[in-house]
Amino acid sequence: MTGLPARALVRDHRRHPWNLVFAVLGVALGVAIVVAVEIANSSASRAFELSMETITGRTTHQLIGGPGGLDEGLYTRLRREGFRDSAPVVEGHVRIQGETFTLLGLEPFAERPFRDHAVGGRDGRINRLITEPGTVMLAAPTAARLGLAEDETFFLTVGTTPHAVTLVGIVSTDEPGLGGYVLADIATAQDLFRRHGRLDRIDLILTDERQMARLREMLPPGVRLEAAEARTRATAELSRAFHVNLLAMSLLALLVGAFLIYNTLTFAVLRRRHLLGNLRMQGMTRASVFGLIIAEAALLGLVGSLLGLAAGVVIGQGLVQLVTRTVTDLYFVVTVTQLALGPAVILKGLLLGLGVTLIAALGPAWEAAGVSPREALRRSGLEHRVRRVLPWLVPAGGLLMLAGFMLVDWPGQGLLPGFFALFLLILGYACLIPPLVWLMARLLSGPLGLGFGVPGRLAARGIGAGISRSGLAATALAIAVSATVGVGIMVDSFRSSVGLWLGQTLQSDLYVSAPGRSGLGVNPVLPDDLPARVASLPSVAELSTARRVPLYTPRGPLELMAIDPSVQTPDGYVYLEGASPARIWQRLAAEEVILISEPLAWRKGIGVGDSLALPTDRGERTFEVVGVVQDYSAAQGMVTLHRTLYDRYWDDPGVAALRLSLAPGVSLESGLSQLRALAVTLDEPVLITAAGEIHAQSMAIFDRTFAVTHVLRLLTVGVAFIGILSALMALQLERAREHAVLRATGMTPWQLGGMVTLQSLLLGLAAGLAAIPLGILMSDVLIQVINQRSFGWSMIRTLPPAVPGEGLLLALTASLLAGAYPGYRMARVRPAEHLREA
Amino acid sequence: MWIRKICPAVLALALAWLTACAPESGPLDDEPLDAMVLLGGDIDEGYARAVTPRPFVFPDDHGPHPEFRNEWWYITGNLDDEAGRRFGYQITFFRLSLVPTVPESASAWATNQVWMAHLAVTDVAGIGHRAFERFSRGAMGLAGAQVNPFRVWLDDWVLASDEGNDFPWRLTATSGDIELELRLIPQKPHVLQGDRGLSQKSAAPGNASHYYSFTRLQTEGSLRVQGREHAVSGLSWLDREWSTSALEEGQVGWDWFSLQLADGHDVMYYRFRREDGSEDPFSKGLWVTPEGDHSLITFEQARLEVLERWTGPTGHRYPVAWRLHLPAQGRVLEIRAVRPDQVMDLSVRYWEGAVDVLEAGEAAGRGYVEMTGY
Repeated sequence: MTGLPARALVRDHRRHPWNLVFAVLGVALGVAIVVAVEIANSSASRAFELSMETITGRTTHQLIGGPGGLDEGLYTRLRREGFRDSAPVVEGHVRIQGETFTLLGLEPFAERPFRDHAVGGRDGRINRLITEPGTVMLAAPTAARLGLAEDETFFLTVGTTPHAVTLVGIVSTDEPGLGGYVLADIATAQDLFRRHGRLDRIDLILTDERQMARLREMLPPGVRLEAAEARTRATAELSRAFHVNLLAMSLLALLVGAFLIYNTLTFAVLRRRHLLGNLRMQGMTRASVFGLIIAEAALLGLVGSLLGLAAGVVIGQGLVQLVTRTVTDLYFVVTVTQLALGPAVILKGLLLGLGVTLIAALGPAWEAAGVSPREALRRSGLEHRVRRVLPWLVPAGGLLMLAGFMLVDWPGQGLLPGFFALFLLILGYACLIPPLVWLMARLLSGPLGLGFGVPGRLAARGIGAGISRSGLAATALAIAVSATVGVGIMVDSFRSSVGLWLGQTLQSDLYVSAPGRSGLGVNPVLPDDLPARVASLPSVAELSTARRVPLYTPRGPLELMAIDPSVQTPDGYVYLEGASPARIWQRLAAEEVILISEPLAWRKGIGVGDSLALPTDRGERTFEVVGVVQDYSAAQGMVTLHRTLYDRYWDDPGVAALRLSLAPGVSLESGLSQLRALAVTLDEPVLITAAGEIHAQSMAIFDRTFAVTHVLRLLTVGVAFIGILSALMALQLERAREHAVLRATGMTPWQLGGMVTLQSLLLGLAAGLAAIPLGILMSDVLIQVINQRSFGWSMIRTLPPAVPGEGLLLALTASLLAGAYPGYRMARVRPAEHLREA
Repeated sequence: MWIRKICPAVLALALAWLTACAPESGPLDDEPLDAMVLLGGDIDEGYARAVTPRPFVFPDDHGPHPEFRNEWWYITGNLDDEAGRRFGYQITFFRLSLVPTVPESASAWATNQVWMAHLAVTDVAGIGHRAFERFSRGAMGLAGAQVNPFRVWLDDWVLASDEGNDFPWRLTATSGDIELELRLIPQKPHVLQGDRGLSQKSAAPGNASHYYSFTRLQTEGSLRVQGREHAVSGLSWLDREWSTSALEEGQVGWDWFSLQLADGHDVMYYRFRREDGSEDPFSKGLWVTPEGDHSLITFEQARLEVLERWTGPTGHRYPVAWRLHLPAQGRVLEIRAVRPDQVMDLSVRYWEGAVDVLEAGEAAGRGYVEMTGY
């Protein structure tokens, strides 16, 4: 008995291949996006983990200094005191052929207890590493990728300065974590980074408390002993919110996919009512019919998921580059050398695809099981029921949205409740769309009748009559479009907020900085006498100095900005909390107080009047917060303090950047040329940049950071597009008989085609219009909850007219395209065929 | 002297071993030559050579001679605690220039000097033989040698004058369950080995070392083994040698003896073993009287026979008892290892251990023996 019904379903699918194709495609696309994001996310995370594993090796603890790093003499003291499991590290970022690497300066003789492969080459090439300045080693796959051979000399860029180095060793390793590293002798690293006398950290293997206590006693005040694992975790934690965001976006795509599946299966059931009724007549039980539909859905889900997995791997390969870029721009340098394609990813993709398909199939299967043999020839049962349910959708949606709103306002920092609230809002709103579409169809039938005659009225009525499917199609499209609208508004708001903030921050005309600032290692400084020399230039009116350094606190990394302000400096901030700028800067100059950035305030839950403990070179000190300022430049949070306070607590005399205002009447060009003339007399390169250039560069980085968001947005639209196409085609093809009757009763092919197209457009319009409020709502939640909780960044919501317009256009285009084929078919078909077929 | 050959090889191998996955890279007997090649080029270029006898100046010559390729400070000794428990010890600081010139860099880490040190203790009736090895670059004060005040060190293994640059010297070294703190006072003046301190290793000019020894150092101090402290005293032997020498083809290994006899005489003798099983004519020794007068023992003036052999856990066979015939001195010395298992299984495996000296079956002294190439 089971063979026959299955064969019947197969035969049915063969007659309507398009429905099958779309359903499978829907599952596949949804799964593909989730899998791609998962692959990109976990590849980036795994790459970071692997590189940390490789580089941490058997290190248990690390000695970390202040912004100036550690005095290298400390290492000698440790060794002489018998701390033999200790290895010095000088590290920083370098670029080779445009790609960023971490250069590790190591002492090969201290390496053995720590890292097996970190210094490779069993053939004694280490001699050259030690005795020849400017020599490096690379992992074999990296050397191969860069096309570098042993003994080859190539350029490696530190900051903006290229250095010729020679590859003296290729480490043959199967450890992918080594791929992002350049290995060098510690002396070479100090030369390249101009970091003589300093270490960035000392790796240690400490096993017992007594040893640790003895070590702590030896340490100068600014040096801290930290567990290596905790430090890695704190760094990895930085990018967590970003990965969660991507995952949530991918789940949105799957949600749209689920609508699509539901739609397809529902339609398939409706179309086969006759067949199902016959099966029931032949004695098949309700349970068997239910099982049959579920089994069909499972098969469909399986095929779709498998296809989705394959597509996901392909998309993931592209996506991982974008994700890596963002993580590198925002958090830390990471080099992905292999995709994380574990069984977990594959299983997750399969389960999600199958799960979502089965859940989406429950409704249609229930519907199919409900078909009574007698009902087999009646088609309108579902429509009746749906129309009965329709009014109930409104309060249900309202309740869901209410719950969503309440959850949004729920105090707390959790990201997941935020996303849950967002999904509740979306689902609630989705419930409202079918009644809305039905209402619109009713209201428009009159005017359309007047405008387009009978086809117009019929188009509007048709939507209402087939609301179980047209409503769903419109909902799926609306959600997809709203996601693009919401994310679009969010990114645009973010972008304009950053732009405004940059405008406020970049008060000075010109900026002079030491090239090569990075979040790793001790940062470069300007030549000692440069500030005074620049200040004495006749074209310079005002000058402030800045030193921005990463600070490793026990609770994760921060950025520290020490400012010697000029008159203009107080105006260069957007104060979210605190007294007047003048008063704040008065206090910064005179007292032991600090400014903190918004993300830091958010993460620590502190504000003006609270205090923040920071590790200083004199030990841990507590500083009062006198202001909270906007800052989009440091996701991990930034502390701004006065240079005098910095000098009191940190031994890091250098200045890394000068911000200067030109005297009245001096043009930017002449200011620039004076500075450049000064710069050529310096031994070390300096970077001279105009404010406008920094603005442009910053915005370019911003756009690059959000490239991945845009791509996901487009993919979601892709899923929705397939959805609306499939729903509308199904809708129209199902009406074949009805249309045949219309043709038979005198409607011309053109009229019929027009009617079908009009109907599609109406649906698209409904979806587009419904999508705009939802999109705005989504953007609000994204801006005020998700972004806030993820990054601590607040932003001003903008409403760029183009974004909702684009959404509407998108909906209409999708519906028009989707309506075109059925319209074309309907117009061409010979009425007799369809009448006979029914 | 043995270091003349082994030092570059050991260092090359050690460097390779540092990077190898397995901490114990196993015996590497046949590899030193290959390792030498890896050190690259003509090793002598740019280095000073020992061509003629030099006027030794002390204390300056206790300090380093970085213009030469290799150099070592090498001490062995036999000790007893108050209860008569017997110990042997060895500590060696090796200096090697990887290249003749210091690399051009503003970094304090930049150097052409590499240091290796070996420490071994034989607790004859107790835990047996323990050996340790260390490496460091000769920069940043991590390892080095200096005259004022006299000090040779690698991390916290230190050989230094108590004060200024004169004797007594203090030796401090801790590793694993061994802690050594000894005070060394010479009982005889230094002796110059070979021809006025020029120890010719082959016929080629410059293939020689500058070499002096303190053959009898009164030694006192403490030795802590597995947490138990022993007040110890005994005699030690210091060898100082520096050179820029090439490897001699055809030599497969050597046996080296430093013996302190109960009657106050000291004997040094080494022989090179050649591939064909013969003894190299450059083998030689030194006879030191209780007063410190010394005379050369030539290859023809000595005869060494092996009495017993022992097979180690790695399957290598070492002689552990010998008879040294010194007809010119009218002595026949029977030399027996206090324990057979004194193998230094480090970057390069060699046997180095405390021995007893017997004459006519009676105890007649103590000493140390080193053997490579087995």
